Amino acid sequence: MSTKNAGSAVKMGYTDVKVMLAGVPGWKKAGQYVEASEEFVKKGNIVLVDLRSPREYEAGHIPRAHNIQLEDLDFAEDEFPANRAAPIVVYGNGNDAVEAYRIIKSWGCKKGSVSSIDFAAWKQAGNPIETGPTPDEIVWKRILGKFEVALDEFKKAAEGGGDKIILDVRTSEEIGDGKLAAARHIPLDDLQGQLHTLPKDKEILVHCTTGARAEMASAELRNAGFKSRYLVANVECDGSDCEIYE
Amino acid sequence: MNHRFLKRLLPLACAAALLATGCGQHEPVQAGNAAAADAAVEAKKQENVLKGKIVGKSNKAKTISIEVGKGDKAKTQMVKFNDATQGIEHAAKGEAAIIEFTGEGKDRMATVIKPKLAKLPAGTSEMKPAELIAAINSGRKMVLVDCRPSPRYHEGSIPGAINIPVPAMAEKAPMLLPKDKDIQLVFFCGGPT
Repeated sequence: MSTKNAGSAVKMGYTDVKVMLAGVPGWKKAGQYVEASEEFVKKGNIVLVDLRSPREYEAGHIPRAHNIQLEDLDFAEDEFPANRAAPIVVYGNGNDAVEAYRIIKSWGCKKGSVSSIDFAAWKQAGNPIETGPTPDEIVWKRILGKFEVALDEFKKAAEGGGDKIILDVRTSEEIGDGKLAAARHIPLDDLQGQLHTLPKDKEILVHCTTGARAEMASAELRNAGFKSRYLVANVECDGSDCEIYE
Repeated sequence: MNHRFLKRLLPLACAAALLATGCGQHEPVQAGNAAAADAAVEAKKQENVLKGKIVGKSNKAKTISIEVGKGDKAKTQMVKFNDATQGIEHAAKGEAAIIEFTGEGKDRMATVIKPKLAKLPAGTSEMKPAELIAAINSGRKMVLVDCRPSPRYHEGSIPGAINIPVPAMAEKAPMLLPKDKDIQLVFFCGGPT
């Protein structure tokens, strides 16, 4: 909706107003990096990486940061969360953070960003710091969205016997390889036509292959007066044997 | 856990995230009675049209799924297509499209598919990413404005950009935009849907 703001700016009297329709995705596609805000570095649910030397890091670093030098980063992929939606923010000296961003992106990480925070300035501004060696392990836990169901709760419900409905909104083609035994199947684009077949007094837990379509379907259900949450996880089925993981 | 498998799946999740933050086109709001009559005619004409983001296309089932409406109001609809459908190449996943169709309910058949191009408001023009990169490198003074919701802005934006989410424009623009009205402003958001 950048066009809307651009139109408002013209009305306010601005004479040189451009719209970059390609947006942030187009910017990234052009090989450019994105920068995380200071607030995100302070409060976000992120994996923060300090690229400086261990000596600099141990003397003081931004709280929660892990120390991985740029030259080691190439070999550190497996230390990062398997969930590639984990936001990874990198900071360091000179151009290191931009280089590191490229490496992280090459792993398939979709939410990498560079922080332009200069540690000396950060410290001088009175921001909190931590000292000492880097933690052994990178631990990152996704925070559930408002209408998301936790993986464990979904797995339990999928075992059947409870009072929740499991709804699989993948296409009929995808179902060909199998589906959860307890699940009802209604392809996402057929949902509106099948609403009358679903109960309003039971909670409907929706899944697909990753969570994208499940989120849409769950929103459609709630708008139609149903109780529903959705699962953001990978679901792979071979018959009724399904692997569900983040 | 298999990383390569995840890598293949993630673009799907990302596309969904884009859906939630994309640049929706607002239809111009018509005012006045004469305009209202026009709008009624226009609405009638648009009955057999679906506008939105292509969610998927099944060549086997010969169907196209399109997400119509924004955010919480979004509904995924399905139309069939056949060899007579024009512009089937525009039914590409993730692209914004306009589908004209005949028939009703389950028998809706796409006749013409066109790409949905963003309309630029009067007095503005488009800037491509490459032009923006060149402009930044030239050191030209300008103000970059990220129009996405603030959580999206905070997790990663074009370096140097400020954030004015669309609903906050009227309130924040007087504080955040430059006093000099001749300085170039570049607005952007989550992509062209």
